[in-house]
Amino acid sequence: MNRFVIMDEKDMVATALVDCKKGEMADVHDNKNVHLLSVLALEDIRYGNKIALNDIAKGERVIKYGAVIGECTHGIKKGELVHVHNVKSLTVDIPPAFKAEIMRQMNIKAREEE
Amino acid sequence: MKFHGYARPDGTVGIRNKLLIIAVDECCEGIARNIAKKFEDAVVLTNWYTCMLGGNEETFNQMIAVGKNPNVAGALVIAMGCGSILPQQVADEVAKTGKPVDTLVCQEVGGTRKSISVGIEKMNAIKAYADGLEKEEFPLSRIVVGVKCGGSDTSSGIASNPSVGEAVDKLVGMGAIAIGGELFELQGCQHVLNQRASSPEVAQKINKLIDNERIRWSVEGTDVETMSIGNSVGGLTTIEEKSMGALHKTGSCEIVDILQINKDFIDIPKEPGFYLSEVTMLCGGAGVNFASLGAHVILWTSGAAGFNNSIVPVIRVSGNKDLINDDIDVDATGIMDGIESVDEVSDKIIAKIAEVANGSHTQLEGIGDSTLTLYQKDQRLEQVLKLNCVR
Repeated sequence: MNRFVIMDEKDMVATALVDCKKGEMADVHDNKNVHLLSVLALEDIRYGNKIALNDIAKGERVIKYGAVIGECTHGIKKGELVHVHNVKSLTVDIPPAFKAEIMRQMNIKAREEE
Repeated sequence: MKFHGYARPDGTVGIRNKLLIIAVDECCEGIARNIAKKFEDAVVLTNWYTCMLGGNEETFNQMIAVGKNPNVAGALVIAMGCGSILPQQVADEVAKTGKPVDTLVCQEVGGTRKSISVGIEKMNAIKAYADGLEKEEFPLSRIVVGVKCGGSDTSSGIASNPSVGEAVDKLVGMGAIAIGGELFELQGCQHVLNQRASSPEVAQKINKLIDNERIRWSVEGTDVETMSIGNSVGGLTTIEEKSMGALHKTGSCEIVDILQINKDFIDIPKEPGFYLSEVTMLCGGAGVNFASLGAHVILWTSGAAGFNNSIVPVIRVSGNKDLINDDIDVDATGIMDGIESVDEVSDKIIAKIAEVANGSHTQLEGIGDSTLTLYQKDQRLEQVLKLNCVR
């Protein structure tokens, strides 16, 4: 089982509590440990990272902990990794050089401009 | 729940009997450290900015406030003698608590070696007073707890912060005081905080002080690290996500007020409840900030770095399996595995606070103390940016 959790029922993303491989199912639980649904991982989702529970459109606000954690900058498909390459902060964004380094360390490829 | 602590003459209760040496300038620190070597419970707090008072008022205020902390039994205030901060200025304020306070001006004594031996004599008198104190029983509601995170990772937002938050709610329910801080890291959470504020005035004050912190750290042409690269590689995408995860450790109670630490004054919480504060997100400085606000213990969710504050013991809570070693006081990994609830871990946290209040050492107490960093806001920058406190 690939354990993922959401912290609030409004959440659009679930956090991986294991390293989940592309092609495996992400088994999403709520914070009372009730299994809610399973989502096919379209790419590797490492421990601590987030998977999209549904498609998220460019410009849409992303919800975690029941609150807005940022804005989607490139369309995200259900089952894809949600991170700095497709979500930005609405208050203070991470400097571009830092983002590039994060993506290099995590082996995330930049999304093409839409 | 009860604990045995030291009744202080000003009505507060201490859980430690620290002998504080305040070095009001950096030049006399060597003398202070040599005096401290002779006393197991001695702690040195050094003003390492400069010996000038002008521009260092926030540090000056904190030196006094740390002296007043209930975990301090008495204090010796030392100066080299050529600076503009007089030890008497600090000592007179600390002495208002009724605790024994003495001063030493090295140049007046005549020589470094002689200053050390005179300082040791003065400290012996303070130690004799501290040793004569008998512990008495108090309810756990007398405890003031600081909450802080450091080296946040995925487990912080899911396990350690929520369980500390639940513990905070339970402590406040008992009638204790809990204090959060790190306003820079609460950006993006204002709507939640405003709903928790005890009044519209407090909500406004919270927004203003968070905004001050944003302006202070976001000066054009300089980089600001809202998150470390390690935070993001660990899975945190934005400051809002980090903030919401961090906010969990403050529980869900009403925010009575937001405590200010500045060049003019330091607010001390009086009524029970949960408070926000200007305690910095910078770890070493946060420990001293909490000491200034009168905290007895700090609940620290982590994360990486492992350290203690020598005046306000740090209880470390972690839900990260890779970090669980003998530095951690409360293991919250059961939440990550789905085998323990947030409620259960919060009970473990409260039991640990009671133990530590009763005199048990935290895992790092006495072996992994951080520097007592006197962090202060740069008064010249505040002036340039036109940042003011809230009156």
